[in-house]
Amino acid sequence: MDVLIQIIASGLTLGAMYAVSTIGLALVYGSLNMLNMAHGALLALGGYVCWYAMATLGLHPLLGVAAAMIVCGAVGLVIYCAAAQPMLGSANFETQIFIATIGIGAIIENVILRLFGPQPTPQPLNLTGALVIGNVHIPHQNLLILGVALGLMAALALLLRHSRLGRAIRATAQNREAAQLMGVRVGFVYAQVLALSGALAAISGIMISSLSGLLPNMGGDPMLKAFIICVVAGLGNVYGAVAAAIVLGLLEAATQYVLGVRYSFAILLLLVIAVLIWRPYGLFGRKQVVRL
Amino acid sequence: MSALLSLVRIGAGYGANEVLRGVSLDVAEGSLTAIIGPNGHGKTTLLRAISGLVPLTAGAISFAGRPLMTLRPDEIVAAGIVHVPQGDLLFPEMSVIDNLQMGAYLPDAAKQMRARLDEVFALLPKLKERRSQIASTLSGGERRMVGIGRGLMAGGRLLMLDEPSLGLAPILIDQIYDVIWELTRAGRTILVVEENAARIADKAAQVALLDNGQFAWTGQGAELMARPKILETYLGA
Repeated sequence: MDVLIQIIASGLTLGAMYAVSTIGLALVYGSLNMLNMAHGALLALGGYVCWYAMATLGLHPLLGVAAAMIVCGAVGLVIYCAAAQPMLGSANFETQIFIATIGIGAIIENVILRLFGPQPTPQPLNLTGALVIGNVHIPHQNLLILGVALGLMAALALLLRHSRLGRAIRATAQNREAAQLMGVRVGFVYAQVLALSGALAAISGIMISSLSGLLPNMGGDPMLKAFIICVVAGLGNVYGAVAAAIVLGLLEAATQYVLGVRYSFAILLLLVIAVLIWRPYGLFGRKQVVRL
Repeated sequence: MSALLSLVRIGAGYGANEVLRGVSLDVAEGSLTAIIGPNGHGKTTLLRAISGLVPLTAGAISFAGRPLMTLRPDEIVAAGIVHVPQGDLLFPEMSVIDNLQMGAYLPDAAKQMRARLDEVFALLPKLKERRSQIASTLSGGERRMVGIGRGLMAGGRLLMLDEPSLGLAPILIDQIYDVIWELTRAGRTILVVEENAARIADKAAQVALLDNGQFAWTGQGAELMARPKILETYLGA
């Protein structure tokens, strides 16, 4: 029983963390058909900015988080203006932007490496203590991550469903030309989606680094998992991605306990292969077109 | 009466493929203008060029005295040109009501959302019945109605309809055209693209026949019906 609670607790934390790193990726893909390969580097950048603001500048943790969101949001905007926008009209947009963002990701990672060095650094934004239920220890930090992730996802759902920007994002994703004919300034919507995705990446990066520490290439693994979750859910499907992230988090926690850490990634990939054989367009995806 | 929309020798196309060559047209406020002609001769491209979706290669477009050539598509909508595209282009995963509300996306239209929604439901009562249905599950005729209703939600001073009868059964075409006649009687300025000249020529104040990217004939609708030669040559009627 205790084991089960422990697995569920750490699985939910993992899943919530994956969900936050995945929704940014899914949002951008759903809107622009753009696979942002720099997303992982943005996670790392967010973690480092928060660390720098708190440890070096001595700012309040909330300011650290805000700084990270602003910096990563701005970088997202730069990625749109410098790479995505000029390529938008071209026939091979999806391939071109995929390759371009790999390059941008490498640049960001190397800037981090030059500025802050290769040594692992602990993330100062970290709660101490734990919630003890019987023999089960659930660190406060895990609870914080879970709470923030749930709050963020609820906020994003509200934004997409009820705000003017959210309606414009969904309309643009479902039919770009029709959205233009309704008066939506599509380029502006895309720019905001990239900025939003960057800010979400920052939060995700802070969460991940608070558990496993900061490293310039720390974004690689979560980015890969976020990509896998997107594919399983159906590329571009934001709500599906959240559900898939939580299921995969629980699965990972269970595999780690039952079979050991080294099998968890292999099992994850096995599951993805099985899902894609069964439903090639993802669990929640529609054939061909995937929408928000 | 001075023209609300004025095209002066415009050219437009996709890359090296020029679809329109030297097209000029004046649309008077409060009138119904029909662009007719065979498929693939630039009717849709003409509307897309007015909306800013296809770049102009030559000529000038002005609307209510204001040049449109440098405006983005969303700015052209804001200026008052509403384009109901061919094939409806609904937002497939939104409900009927959400689609209609997207029509009133711009702030000016959003302010009049309630009143416009009542107008649209009065004109197209079927949409009220189907209001919470997801657009992709509608029938072809219902989809066309949502497309037109969504355009009406935007208000605007000029309504452009691209082949409102395309792919519909005759009885549904009649219904759609009844709506268009009603809008015309109410004094709306409408520009319709239609392949079937007989469907619209007698009601239109002005008919322009687009052939191979140029206007082959422009005149009054009644005049066209009296010229079987033109109908036969260009439209095989």
